[in-house]
Amino acid sequence: MTISSRGLERAWELYQDRLSYARVMASQGKKVIGYFCCYTPVELMTALDLVPYRIGGRTDEPVKEADAYLETCVCSYVRSAFDLAICGEYDFLHGLVVPHTCDAMWRILNIWKLHKPLDYTYFIEVPHMVGPSSCHFLEQELKLFKKSLEQLVGRKITEEALRDAIDTHNRARALLQEIYQYRKADPPLISGTEIARVLAAGRGIPVEEFNELLLQVIHDIRTRDSESRRKKPRVLIYGGEVDDPAIIELIEECGAAVVMDDLCTGSRSFWEPVKLKENAMESLAAHYVDDIRCPRTFRPGKPEERFQYLLDFAREFNVQGIILYLYRFCDGHALEAPGLKAYLNRKGFPVLHLEEEYTLLTKGQLRTRFQAFIETLG
Amino acid sequence: MADSTDIKKEKRTQSARNVRPLVESMYLRAHQARERGQKVAYCMVMSQYDEILAAMDIVPVWTENYGGLCATLGTAQPFLEKAEAEGYSNLICGYARTGLGFDALRAETGEAPQTPDGGMPMPDMLLGSSIGCDTRFKWYQALGHYMDVPIYCIDVIVPPVNRNLYEIKDFYVKYQAEQLRGLVKFLEKTTGCQLDPDRLMSIIHRAEEARHWWWEAQQLCRAIPAPMTARDHFNIFVPHHFMIGEEATLDFYKELYQELKDRVDSGIGVVDNERYRLLFAGGLPPWHSMGIFSYFGSLGAVFPAQLAYPPPDPFIIPDNINDPIELMALRSFERFTYRWEQAHRGCGDFWVQHILDLVPEFNIDGLVMHGVMSCRATSMGQIYYQNAVQKYAKLRTLFIGSDIVDIRTYSEAQTKIQIDNFLETVETYKSNK
Repeated sequence: MTISSRGLERAWELYQDRLSYARVMASQGKKVIGYFCCYTPVELMTALDLVPYRIGGRTDEPVKEADAYLETCVCSYVRSAFDLAICGEYDFLHGLVVPHTCDAMWRILNIWKLHKPLDYTYFIEVPHMVGPSSCHFLEQELKLFKKSLEQLVGRKITEEALRDAIDTHNRARALLQEIYQYRKADPPLISGTEIARVLAAGRGIPVEEFNELLLQVIHDIRTRDSESRRKKPRVLIYGGEVDDPAIIELIEECGAAVVMDDLCTGSRSFWEPVKLKENAMESLAAHYVDDIRCPRTFRPGKPEERFQYLLDFAREFNVQGIILYLYRFCDGHALEAPGLKAYLNRKGFPVLHLEEEYTLLTKGQLRTRFQAFIETLG
Repeated sequence: MADSTDIKKEKRTQSARNVRPLVESMYLRAHQARERGQKVAYCMVMSQYDEILAAMDIVPVWTENYGGLCATLGTAQPFLEKAEAEGYSNLICGYARTGLGFDALRAETGEAPQTPDGGMPMPDMLLGSSIGCDTRFKWYQALGHYMDVPIYCIDVIVPPVNRNLYEIKDFYVKYQAEQLRGLVKFLEKTTGCQLDPDRLMSIIHRAEEARHWWWEAQQLCRAIPAPMTARDHFNIFVPHHFMIGEEATLDFYKELYQELKDRVDSGIGVVDNERYRLLFAGGLPPWHSMGIFSYFGSLGAVFPAQLAYPPPDPFIIPDNINDPIELMALRSFERFTYRWEQAHRGCGDFWVQHILDLVPEFNIDGLVMHGVMSCRATSMGQIYYQNAVQKYAKLRTLFIGSDIVDIRTYSEAQTKIQIDNFLETVETYKSNK
């Protein structure tokens, strides 16, 4: 594997080689633990020198074998990810952690275990409600998860090690926030495609390496000037597990600059840091209950309260239009979308609401929809 | 192939025939309550809060039931179309689309649609929960677009099967109790009335007695020939799910028990020539086309049990718990984990365990699952259940596909062909056993 010294190029290479990179780590004795969703407390894995690997699918390949094991009503992201597992692409995983985030996540672990047994699996019950009792419940859940990981590795996580791991992940969150600030320039100093590649690279490497990569990326960006770039309509993309940079690239090919996101694989997973208090486990639980704005969590309040954060994003990043890019069979987003669209329209933002499969094998129709929308933003 | 004359031969129970009038009275009472100023709440089934509502004289409107009712009576289409016109995906829960369409029409015209059963009265509050699926709280959140009423949702947690129950019991029960207490606080604030714990405890006892009789009635269905039709199974859960805690509900299940016992004692089955005993083992019923179960019956296939709406597993009220909320939280944990230990030792999955438990108890020859395109919660995993069950019991499985409400997804002719072919394989399997 050739590693470029330049951050953005290296990010692209790491993303493209993510599976082989993970295999190398596994062959060198690292325990690579797959996980789904931004609700898995990766800090606990990092504290034990385990390598958390965010499970993804492939939008550039059709599902080959998973259809024999998963019903047609299951979202195509989960189907694609499981297909990779069935086809052996995830054989390097030592274990798999699944948080109860949505109905598909609730079911997938047992199916995975039956057809692809792993040395270690764990299911975390994550509350769907917010509030003190939910935080306390999740803290107890995470203590058991911690205990389970300790048994896997054969040593305890000290308070100091956990605080260090949280600090390291918070460092990644802060660096990503810094990179996102460069999107505010018009034209932005880093494209949406480049950021998507950086984020994708980070999902398969240890967080310490990711932090080095992020510093390199920041260095790259600082040497750029925005004057030489062309101004384009600025859009925000909202959705779930949009983990393939090719989707962002397609939007940008159609003439827009993707300057902000609210995606499970984007800002949603890092925008808020873990607010470390005296008790690290308590801080971790509070973070994973309160700070991640996925529609899988019920938050009381009218649309004005629930979606204010998105309006803030749109205004802060000077967005002209918003794309709701949702996957079919994702109930959380599907039930949120009409109300969210109406709210954003009321606030003066044009919205393109798409319900798509997790595939880019046929881009033509999607390209037409993006082009038509971007033209209206002119 | 059976003709319509054969299909009429199924012997339905009088108890099940009594359900429809009960449903009519349920909606009538809700409308009357609304008119006289009594608080009305939109509610989700299985949310573990039913008895609290009864104890506080809050009249529930079970919005999922309304979806099923519309599907059964063939009146769902305008609601589905309205929800889709509002931007809701045609892949989200059929019940939710029906309800969202209904309330969108009410918001648009200022009047609630009147069909069926006078429609759903305007609620004073929306009470969601996380039990079973995400739609149970997302639906009510979405309703905020059409009505300005308070909403409160609680977590109802089903413990993961791979856990040590002794390790998790205390904090799972504590969390459930805290969630229920939060709800009580909200209800007291919204209604201005205090919950009477003694009244709640008495309602819980009555509800548990009704559950006991339903459970006992279900055990009678082990008999050969089976004493109750599949369609009856999908009717008789209604008093429990929507009217628990009432005297009439207790009476209903006592009468059901007696009726089934009389049938069993007299050797009366639901079809003249019972040949195949099937388990409805996955998904929810196709409410839009329940006649398909009579088609099974016409071919000699009966359903002694079903897992869409089975009676709750047994729970004995402990003597030492005086706090009804604590009792409800404990009951929730105990019921959800009733089959955990056995699943833990064997197949590793509570649903598979439930199937495996029922197969010998009810002499099951084959499994039927309904893949509901709009319901991840009950449809995802059906292939897995089939594969996991095969490790322990060689059974044929029929997968039919459509929706709980949306008849546009359904082909009766194709389903009947599937049934014919399936029963042939069951026949072969039985012959070779």
